[in-house]
Amino acid sequence: MTNPERRTLEPWQDPKAAPYVRIDHVTKKFDDVYAVDDVSLDIFQGEFFSLLGSSGCGKSTLLRMLAGLERPTTGRIYIDGADVTDLPAYSRPVNMMFQSYALFPHMTVEQNVEFGLKQDRMPRKERAERVGEMLGLLQIGELRKRKPDQLSGGQRQRAALARTLAKHPKLLLLDEPLGALDKRLRESAQFELVNLQERLGITFVTVTHDQEEAMTMSTRIAVMNAGQILQVDTPTTIYEYPEYRFVADFIGLVNLFDGRVAEIQDDRVLVETQLGRRLHMRCSHPHAIGTPVTVAIRPEKLQICQTYREDGVNQVKGVVEDIAYLGDVSIYRVRVSPELLVEMTLTNIQPRTEQALTWGQEVAMEWSPTSGVVLTE
Amino acid sequence: MVFMTKHHLHDRHLSRALNIGTPYLWLGLFFLLPFAIVLHISMAETALAQPPYTDLMSWVDDGVLQIKLNLQNFVTVFTDELYLAAFLNSLWIALVCTVLCLLIGYPMAYAIATSPERRRVILLMLIILPFWTSFLIRVYAWIGILKPNGLLNNFLMWLGLIHEPLTILHTQTAIYIGVVYSYLPFMILPLFANLTRLDFSLLEAAADLGCRPFKAFLKVTLPLSLPGIVAGSMLVFIPVVGEFVIPDLLGGPDSLMIGKMLWTEFFGNKDWPLAAALAICLLGLLVVPFVFMQRLESRMGGDEL
Repeated sequence: MTNPERRTLEPWQDPKAAPYVRIDHVTKKFDDVYAVDDVSLDIFQGEFFSLLGSSGCGKSTLLRMLAGLERPTTGRIYIDGADVTDLPAYSRPVNMMFQSYALFPHMTVEQNVEFGLKQDRMPRKERAERVGEMLGLLQIGELRKRKPDQLSGGQRQRAALARTLAKHPKLLLLDEPLGALDKRLRESAQFELVNLQERLGITFVTVTHDQEEAMTMSTRIAVMNAGQILQVDTPTTIYEYPEYRFVADFIGLVNLFDGRVAEIQDDRVLVETQLGRRLHMRCSHPHAIGTPVTVAIRPEKLQICQTYREDGVNQVKGVVEDIAYLGDVSIYRVRVSPELLVEMTLTNIQPRTEQALTWGQEVAMEWSPTSGVVLTE
Repeated sequence: MVFMTKHHLHDRHLSRALNIGTPYLWLGLFFLLPFAIVLHISMAETALAQPPYTDLMSWVDDGVLQIKLNLQNFVTVFTDELYLAAFLNSLWIALVCTVLCLLIGYPMAYAIATSPERRRVILLMLIILPFWTSFLIRVYAWIGILKPNGLLNNFLMWLGLIHEPLTILHTQTAIYIGVVYSYLPFMILPLFANLTRLDFSLLEAAADLGCRPFKAFLKVTLPLSLPGIVAGSMLVFIPVVGEFVIPDLLGGPDSLMIGKMLWTEFFGNKDWPLAAALAICLLGLLVVPFVFMQRLESRMGGDEL
């Protein structure tokens, strides 16, 4: 944490760094519904920040408030130190890429890109240069005379991106930027978007419901649910050390065991669960005996246990019920008790046909006390 | 099997012929044929007969068919200043009324299109509601409103704005009022249909790119609603040029309109050939703006309509 290089890469670790965007106790009510409920958030210069959540969690409303398309019911929004809460969209130093791209259908790609520059009364010559620069940057120079309905989905996304980048905004908002692309295109577009962001040094704030997309692109992720931000962290921390049951469940696959704290041994907590045995977990927070908790373990943290013992640490036995073969890995769903299935992911080192584990087979599994988390909420 | 296929093919040809043929048959029967009859009458001469015009063709000697085409009626239409003035005045009234309908109708259509779903139905009903009463009765009602001791004058005098009644009835102003009132729904409905399909995220995008609301309207909403404007304007302009009930009931002696002239020639003067010539010229006149607008539309990608 004291490493200065890390501080520049992770400005949120630096207590002296000033946030570029500060969202201060913002609430947005539509009639009686809280779309965004008392959210505070700092986003730093040069970040690729993702708001992640399922539909209706308030992530898009938060983004629209940053753009100036919605006005917060209460709370303030600061961009680059200035209070922009009451500033209309057209005078904010922010540009947004819409989920539908919102390209003007009666204008060519070139005219679309030029639109924002014209609003700034940029001289014609400079304008033409900037348009050329943007079309080149996104490699859509040959499409400049086309209308949006003559473009493919991927080309439209590039045109929309060129239009939002044309004004050289300091902050770019992206509402589901890859949502309308098919899976293959999405993967390459993810990398391209990150490269673009790094090259231009613009702060990106994106909204997405796709956890994979958020994981690969972001410097930090804010997981939202029911109008509130649950956790803000780097993708790794969010995945490995979720703080809430919702976060653990929303991102990736996870096995959740409900139980109660039975015993504390040094930095370990022993949890009595419905598995019928105590799970040993490392835990940084002290818990009172009897507190209801949930133990969360990712399926890939489970291993096949070679030396199963009835009193072994974090060992369970069950019968393989389902196998999902994904090529690189297989997910095994193992029934450990009549009402409990445990998921285990194993890398397919051997070809599928030569694997030992098959349906109906009994298997013992184990995991290390350090490879999961104990959640209280 | 071969037989089946052949039969099938035959069926398809038949259904296709029916599909394409029906509208042509309809147009031929109810447009082209009447047009031919009117064209025929326009080149005849008046006669004291039933119907009151001469035949174009007659047998003079045995085996000699004489065809007499009388173009005098067309010469009259083009040379008589009265008809020329009526044509020009009709076009002028139609133009003014189309512009007025557009200026009044556009904000109304926009307001309806942007209102919440449930209120939208009610507002649309209010636009269509006048159609439930006869057009003639509604125009008659305007006489009661506009006459010297009518509702409007009484109201204005009661307010103290005027001290003696305004002469509105039987002037060109009364025609404007009556036409705009009657044809406003024909402007609003196509505009509404167009504006409800407008993607409002486009306006948000314009705002996001630094465009103020009014400019965004001019740069985005207006160009995208052009097909609706064209459709609405045609629906108002074309029938208003030939309008005769409103000028007859509300207009004065100075307000010449070609529809009214036609009616007078036909029923008053019993001059069917001249009336028919007027009708042909009117049709020719209306084809011009129609073709022009059609051109404009196809250039802009007329699939919008």
